[in-house]
Amino acid sequence: MPARTPKKRIEGSTRSRPRKTKFQADLAPADDRMVRVLKDELQLSSNTDFLSDALALFRWAVSERKLGNRIVSESASGERRVLLFPRLERVAPDVALPHVQIQWTARELESLAALVSAKEATPPTEALIRAMRD
Amino acid sequence: MAIAIRRLEQNDDVAPFDCGDEPLNNYLERHAWTNQEKSSIGVSYVAVDDTAPRTVIGYFTLAMASVPRDAFPKKYVRGLPPYDLPLILLARLAVDRRFAGRGLGHALISEAFRIGLNAAAEVGCRAIVTDAYPDRIGWYARYGFVPIEGTSDTGPQRMYLDLRTVRAALRG
Repeated sequence: MPARTPKKRIEGSTRSRPRKTKFQADLAPADDRMVRVLKDELQLSSNTDFLSDALALFRWAVSERKLGNRIVSESASGERRVLLFPRLERVAPDVALPHVQIQWTARELESLAALVSAKEATPPTEALIRAMRD
Repeated sequence: MAIAIRRLEQNDDVAPFDCGDEPLNNYLERHAWTNQEKSSIGVSYVAVDDTAPRTVIGYFTLAMASVPRDAFPKKYVRGLPPYDLPLILLARLAVDRRFAGRGLGHALISEAFRIGLNAAAEVGCRAIVTDAYPDRIGWYARYGFVPIEGTSDTGPQRMYLDLRTVRAALRG
């Protein structure tokens, strides 16, 4: 049955290759122009190569900030500038908070206990939702 | 103006900071760094603009706190978990008045919430509390802080925000 052989080969090759994910982005005109300029400067011909390189750079930056390292550029004259990128600051190790004592009145403790005992938390306000989404 | 919020560093320029409130200015200038690095009684996070990345234009200070279970009135103790109650204290939050009205306070408190959630994930925490100036109670209430009853009528109002509410906001 000669017709079956190529079919089996196709199935086999599909299984062994990792599936690629399509990535689509809506870019503002200025960002689109920036992508074109960068691709030109970096001599990248495809969006896939561009994204792959950008991803490698971003992944490196995230791993450095996660370790607590600062990312610095240094000019030929030795002038240094630290990269400040708000989203990167979110991965920096910074959750170690010291412990302090707060003074409470009896009435405050009663009120606090009532709030803590609530079975369900109050729904978030619009401002809080915006704060967590920004 | 691109703003970044990060931990206070020793060589940050805090002297020009002016939020219009002397105790808050004074804390940043004289105590924030010492409390963070030497006394370990509060970590300050500062907002800086990328055009002047050492000049502080806003800040907040966080610390962990807890309430011993036996400090609560007996009638409530049964409904509480059998441990001390861990809290995050938002000790201070201030914006330089030259940068007021640009959403910097919103950016700072957003970051405080994110750090609060991270801290809760790391060490467990139930709520954020803060002592709000009377004229700022409405601002904190917009984010869901509710007054804790029993604070003095003249001083700051102690306020409470359940971290489950913050988590719910994250989910949208």
